[in-house]
Amino acid sequence: MELIVARNIKKRYRMGEVTVHALRGVDFTLYDRELVVVLGHSGSGKSTLVNIIGGMDQASEGELYFMGRPLHNAGEAELTGYRRDQVGFIFQFYNLMPNLTAFENVHLSVQIAKDPLEIDLLLKQVGLIDRREHFPSQLSGGEQQRVAIARALAKNPRLLLCDEPTGSLDLPTGQQILKLLRDFCDQYNKAVVIITHNTNISYMADRVIYLKDGLVEDVRKNPKPLPPEKVSW
Amino acid sequence: MLWKKMIRDIWDNKGSYLACLVLVVIGLLIFTSFSIAGDNLSLAQEDFYRDQNFAHGFAELVSLPYRELERLSGIEGIDRISGRVKQQVRVTRPEGEVGVYLELVSMNLEDPERVNDALLLDGSELRAGELEIWIDDQFFETYQLEQGYRLEIIAGGGLRELTVEGVAMSPEFTYPLRTEGEIYPNPQQYGIAFISRDTMWSMFPELQGTVNNVVFTLEPGADYDEVKNRLEPELEPYGLVNLYPREDQASHLILSEEVAQLQRMSTVIPIMFLSVAGLILYIMLKRLVEQQRGQIGILKAFGYSNREVTLHYIAYALTVGSLGGLLGGLAGIYLANPLTWLLLEFFHVPETYEGFSLYYLLLGLFISLAIFLVAGYQGCKYALKLKPAEAMRPPAPVSGKKTVLERIGLFSAMLTIQGKMAVRNLGRNRSRTTFLFLGMTLSCAVVIVTWSLYDLIDRLVFYQYEEVEVHDARVTLAEPLSQGPVMRELAAHDEVTLVEPLAEIPAKLAHAWREENILVLGIPGDSSLHIIRDAKGKRVLLPERGIILSERLADKLQVSPGSTVEFKSPYLRNGEDPAPVDVYRVIPQYLGMNAYMEINALINLLGQGSFATSYMINVDATAGPDNQDGDIRAGNIALLRDRYRESEQVAAVDGLEERVREARELMETFGAVIYIYVLFGVVMAFAIIYSSSFIILSERNRELASMKVLGMTSREVFSVITFEQWFVSVFAILAGLPLAQIMMIAFARELSTDLYTIPSEMSGQALLMGAFITIASIWIAQSFALRKVRRLDLVEVLKTRE
Repeated sequence: MELIVARNIKKRYRMGEVTVHALRGVDFTLYDRELVVVLGHSGSGKSTLVNIIGGMDQASEGELYFMGRPLHNAGEAELTGYRRDQVGFIFQFYNLMPNLTAFENVHLSVQIAKDPLEIDLLLKQVGLIDRREHFPSQLSGGEQQRVAIARALAKNPRLLLCDEPTGSLDLPTGQQILKLLRDFCDQYNKAVVIITHNTNISYMADRVIYLKDGLVEDVRKNPKPLPPEKVSW
Repeated sequence: MLWKKMIRDIWDNKGSYLACLVLVVIGLLIFTSFSIAGDNLSLAQEDFYRDQNFAHGFAELVSLPYRELERLSGIEGIDRISGRVKQQVRVTRPEGEVGVYLELVSMNLEDPERVNDALLLDGSELRAGELEIWIDDQFFETYQLEQGYRLEIIAGGGLRELTVEGVAMSPEFTYPLRTEGEIYPNPQQYGIAFISRDTMWSMFPELQGTVNNVVFTLEPGADYDEVKNRLEPELEPYGLVNLYPREDQASHLILSEEVAQLQRMSTVIPIMFLSVAGLILYIMLKRLVEQQRGQIGILKAFGYSNREVTLHYIAYALTVGSLGGLLGGLAGIYLANPLTWLLLEFFHVPETYEGFSLYYLLLGLFISLAIFLVAGYQGCKYALKLKPAEAMRPPAPVSGKKTVLERIGLFSAMLTIQGKMAVRNLGRNRSRTTFLFLGMTLSCAVVIVTWSLYDLIDRLVFYQYEEVEVHDARVTLAEPLSQGPVMRELAAHDEVTLVEPLAEIPAKLAHAWREENILVLGIPGDSSLHIIRDAKGKRVLLPERGIILSERLADKLQVSPGSTVEFKSPYLRNGEDPAPVDVYRVIPQYLGMNAYMEINALINLLGQGSFATSYMINVDATAGPDNQDGDIRAGNIALLRDRYRESEQVAAVDGLEERVREARELMETFGAVIYIYVLFGVVMAFAIIYSSSFIILSERNRELASMKVLGMTSREVFSVITFEQWFVSVFAILAGLPLAQIMMIAFARELSTDLYTIPSEMSGQALLMGAFITIASIWIAQSFALRKVRRLDLVEVLKTRE
């Protein structure tokens, strides 16, 4: 089933005197239950793309549909509703609330969700059930990212968007995180989009979208995705 | 370059700086305008007193031969002495809606250095023996009189025409009140006329060669009390009613109080505003420095010295301080003259304007800069400590902690996640929480106190007229008359339904070395027209023996029920020997300061036959002539007044309803002032909440943006901030109540005089209004701040590491 359909997406920024063309007409489709890696060097426009897909930003031109619903002309309230019900975000820098415990950080997203997952179950899955009362400053980077994943999953979104989720982590910790994302995709039948510049991570994807200079250079299907624990860099 | 940076930084946060600036402008505006107006008024008062030989001592007596003055002037310590005849008369032309009265004050035209001399503003000199007067300026203006106008009065048994020769004012009547019960001058009803002594004697032949009022100035260095001790025995044989110093003279008392109040206001309010502004700026700068630690690091790495960096940040404070100081100071100077003019509407003082005051402008600017220098330095001293390398590294992560409050299980269970974030944040930023708390407490208290004062002054007036003096009108006699015939005559009129006698006896009450000159009111024990009430509003019956004192009087004499006071009065039959009276009760009295006795008990004490000085009357409210407004009662009072228009025995017929109406009208003008003060409270609350919202917003935009990304609406995100503010505000409002009570007690003590007592209670309505207005200002300020959350740029905020 087509989850996201993007048609000729363009995005321009004004940076002082110059206009930056971050996206120059991107077309692609995302399907339900697949793990997609968007691969590109810095400046290729991948973060801009994920922001637009996630409803945090809007395209300057082009059309974007979520399950057939147009998002390119949606208002602020509609975008908020879309983020609230359909999308989970994971960032490179976790963005946890520093003065909420692990449990409370997850609860923050549960309380606005229509059909949330159980918090303690999620914390158990990410291996942090023993640390549920810890504050972010008492957790390591990997642990913080796992809380962030639990927080994103707890809303039970159809689409999980991860912007360089392993960017600040060492290899073993990064592998753990990737495994969690793969599991989520498989167990809950959700779509996961990982944005990275790290080519190795693309080996675990069902499909890889190559982005270059604001354009889709190539889309390739992985006949045999690697298990996350085999991914290394 | 750094200047540009500063200007842009300020521009980016213009809302908060503007809030700060408004507070400074208001503070300085009040400082300069009140200071200058106070100076103007005090200067005008001083000049006026000096030029017109304003007396240091006043004596009212029954009758003193004029020739005695010569001898009295020899008393050690007395510089000059003047004897006058003062007589209140009815005016029949111009005709007012109500009774019009004129205070005739005689002047010895041959004495060029009269004490309490009148200042001729316009017109020509009076001639001895001619029926000519100078009239006070407000009466003149109110009735739009012209020079040469022939005013008609009742005096010496008939109508007399007096020609207005000039307009004048005197330091004795800067705030002329006709009776003790009044608190506002009313030129509609009461004017002052200056007249030659000889004319006065010829109009009142029975007063020929005598005076009933003596005023004197003191030699430099002379002590009033010593002079009083020497003068008192000399005057006593002539029926001394009252001998009092300038400090107790009604006009002087009120004018001086006004000057003192202006001076107090000109310091207290600005300090309040400037401190709040300084605190806001301190917190904003502290935040700015934390936020710009990277930039500070780079500046230092470039080679900027600590001093330069510090100066850069202090400049933010000084910019706001000097801009606000200049704007506020100039506006204050501009407003000082209108304010003086407004005050002079209430006081008859020759106009004195200082004009442009560089002194107050500079002083104001200096004070504002001093406060902001301290605030600025405190705010940015953290920047000093930063080492360049350290500054360019991100700050250590904030540690999360559960607060003490959350250990209370129930409390913790009640909190939403946003609530928990807010409460923990409060605990983390103690100094800011304290500031928020104190600021809101103060602004809430300011609103409550102003509202209470407004309420109380209202009550002051209406309690007296609607609960105590419950009669429709009062007939005041020119001199005491035997009760029987007068009662019969008054009761015989169709329009009169009830008559009760009233004796108003000037007396001196003494206890140990304390003494007070007051009016003792003799009221029938079962009176239904003048009700004495205790603090709870319950009726107090007058005893057959003993005296009831007002709280202020009892306090001044240091007596309580059961004590005995010495009663002295020119009405005492046996003259000089004081009579002892037991204090029966002490009651609250808001208007005036009196003592009360059962009328017969009072007459017995005086050793006189049954008499009264005035009569309280109720008139028919159902039948009789209408006045223009269709008010039958007023029509009946007018009818009664007409009956005695030319009577020599009746000095005045006053309708109380008219007084209530006039008081109400005056209250309305007073109301505008109250709203201005309430507005101050609102502005303060607004500025505090508004700036605190922005500080929290800038500090935590990353967290808030993350919440938005999670799919929360702007309002849900903003609830973290609002929860924090409401949480503190609830406690602040609660704390505002006792603070308001303390302020009220201080106000009541400061503002109460012998003319009126301000109770220190707060009305429930004022409390509700205080809470409501504070809540409303918080809500409005938050609505403004919410717009900024809507505009939060998610992508920008989340992309970078803090």
